[in-house]
Amino acid sequence: MNLVNWHRVKGMSMGNNYDSHRASELDRYLVEFAQLLRTVGLKISPSEISDATEGLALIGLVDREKVEAVLQATLVKNVQHISAFQEAFRAYFASLEQKEAWQKEAAHKTSQWNEQIEKTYQDLRFQDNELEISDDQRAVYANLPEKDKQRLRDFLEKSSKGTRSGVPVDHTYQPMVERVLRGSLEYWRKKLNEDDPILSPGSSDGVLSEVERALRDREVEVISRDLKKISPEEWPEVIRLIRRLSQRLASQVTRRYRAARRRGGLDMRSTLRKNLRYGGVLVDRSYRSRRKGRPRIVLLCDISGSMLKYTEFIWQFVYGLSSVVSGIKTFAFGEALIPLTGKFRKGQTFEVMVKEALSISGKEWGGGTNLASALETLQKKYPDTFNKQTLLLIVSDAQTLEGDKAATLLGEVQRHVRQVLWLNTLPERRWSETPYVKAFLPFCQMYECYTLGHLSQILNKQF
Amino acid sequence: MTNRRNLDQFERELEAIGYITERDDRIALTAFLATELGKPLLVSGPAGVGKTEIAKVLSQVLDAPLIRLQCYEGLDETKSLYEWNYQRQLLKIQMGREHLQEADLFSTDYLLPRPLLQALLSEKRTVLLIDEIDKTDSEFEAFLFELLGEFQVSIPEMGTIKAKERPMVVLTSNGERELSDGLKRRCIFLHVEPPSINKEVRILRAKVPDLPERLALEVARAVNVLRERLSLNKIPSVSETMDWAKALLVMGKTGLDPAWVEATLTLLLKSQEDVELFYREMGAERLIFESSKLAQGERHVHG
Repeated sequence: MNLVNWHRVKGMSMGNNYDSHRASELDRYLVEFAQLLRTVGLKISPSEISDATEGLALIGLVDREKVEAVLQATLVKNVQHISAFQEAFRAYFASLEQKEAWQKEAAHKTSQWNEQIEKTYQDLRFQDNELEISDDQRAVYANLPEKDKQRLRDFLEKSSKGTRSGVPVDHTYQPMVERVLRGSLEYWRKKLNEDDPILSPGSSDGVLSEVERALRDREVEVISRDLKKISPEEWPEVIRLIRRLSQRLASQVTRRYRAARRRGGLDMRSTLRKNLRYGGVLVDRSYRSRRKGRPRIVLLCDISGSMLKYTEFIWQFVYGLSSVVSGIKTFAFGEALIPLTGKFRKGQTFEVMVKEALSISGKEWGGGTNLASALETLQKKYPDTFNKQTLLLIVSDAQTLEGDKAATLLGEVQRHVRQVLWLNTLPERRWSETPYVKAFLPFCQMYECYTLGHLSQILNKQF
Repeated sequence: MTNRRNLDQFERELEAIGYITERDDRIALTAFLATELGKPLLVSGPAGVGKTEIAKVLSQVLDAPLIRLQCYEGLDETKSLYEWNYQRQLLKIQMGREHLQEADLFSTDYLLPRPLLQALLSEKRTVLLIDEIDKTDSEFEAFLFELLGEFQVSIPEMGTIKAKERPMVVLTSNGERELSDGLKRRCIFLHVEPPSINKEVRILRAKVPDLPERLALEVARAVNVLRERLSLNKIPSVSETMDWAKALLVMGKTGLDPAWVEATLTLLLKSQEDVELFYREMGAERLIFESSKLAQGERHVHG
């Protein structure tokens, strides 16, 4: 491989006589490389960069693979970051021609993007005045199919020439037209975002944009892909991950309990008694144990129509969790509450199980959502579900009927339990569009959770 | 320094004591880096891929005694670092009630050194293995910072104890819990994956010299299929593979057949759930079929 950058680095400090000037040149490259790694999400401290320098001085720069190994060992401290590192290494130490090509491509993309945005200023006008629309909305317009663009343009043109009671409209109508247009673009944004979010071309730096592209391609790595997009063949892998995560949750539950026990105060009475045999000299200490007990997990899963895509995920999560943590109480809810505790059987799919439970209660699978009625039933029919040791886990997209009532009920529940955790399958950027999310927020810790990456992050943060 | 070895020497020494590495797994290079830079080596990876083995091998190569600290929930400094020898202190008090200073009691004579302190106090260089660090509480992890960064510890009654000879520290983690940034920053990081078929065959042949090549290959391939294709709760470890190969050898087998795979399966899969999963999704015949397919693939690549 012709690695220009590489050779430059290599040429600098080959052999034994590498003086301070050359070394500082190498440092500069390393710092720059570390910057690149930071932009793609790694945490790198100066001490690690200095480790890398020392390592390279030791191993030498002759062998590209060894250099990669040295940098990986000193700069990457997390298994999940290895792929990002590999891509960054490949791109940063690529040949100069390659880098120039990327640079050109990135510049091209940026200019294309700018051009598109520029063009919207021409397209979207009302009586030759520019409209007041945000750049995000302009980007949505630029991404529309030509047919729909034309429709919007037609609308603008017609309303520009429109009349009201025989009098041609004037510029005072512009705000109204803008509102209509914004509404329409908002609709399109939601619709387009469903599949792929509209991304700006990213960095104009060639190397960085190449790394970003490669990492997006690598999203094949299940951990960062939307759970509804995972194909059936990949489920075994996902299941394995979920099991691992839930196992971790289970083991952490125990850890807390033990740690708390040792921290109780000194128990004077039993200490004195224990030390009578040493003539009253306090040798062995005895502690008062303050048991915190394991949290009792209550799981409340949304199985309404909007959540259908995530059922496999929920099921695996529920099953994985209940196979490692004992005594979980599980409920599903759509329009009404469906108790599922003790209904798990091996090899049975979630759907079958829920259907069985539904046929008993005579309800429909995948209907509307009513969290309020679910919480009400839970409190009335299962009053012993909630106590100070309860960890209430809600898995839902927060799109529910009677949201205000549900929020009030949730507030009540929250006062009686240790913690309410809400895993929301809706991306955080869309929470503001969902009417009741704001009402729920004060009463629970809500996390976006639509990839396995999110789930493991939440577990790291919480437990 | 004159006795500094370079990477090639290091690799040769590993080979000489029968530790098998491949270039791709980067074990040799990373371990070499950690020893030469004097940094702790943090090894992560699934259970049974030979993380602990690395420390043992390093102790052989560096000719340094191995001191091992097995971590568990609730491990604290009285069990890992030091504890005062209360009984002895009491006796001393009884013996010389009149003329005794406090400093007499809190001296090294009355100290019970636990693994960490042993490693620091040792006159000779040691290899300190802190096994399964992810099992401890985060408080303990923070407590290790001083040791890992400065190679010294502070004992409130006595002051700071500095390492006489810097120990080579190896930490292992199964990734049950995210380790703190501070700890990771102080270490050189190595992630170990289960061995490739090729490497496992070499390990088998080295550790079980009587094993015929063909059986070693078939065993390694079958285990590889188990690891990759099934979502087992616990993948078979290298040592379990070895046990399996030995068992087949003892029974005079030269190749795999379904009946014997079923009879000896429990050497590889140690939980009822995994065994059930194996029969539900694969079965012995399919396992042998899949591994022979692997063999064809290999031949294809070489051809």
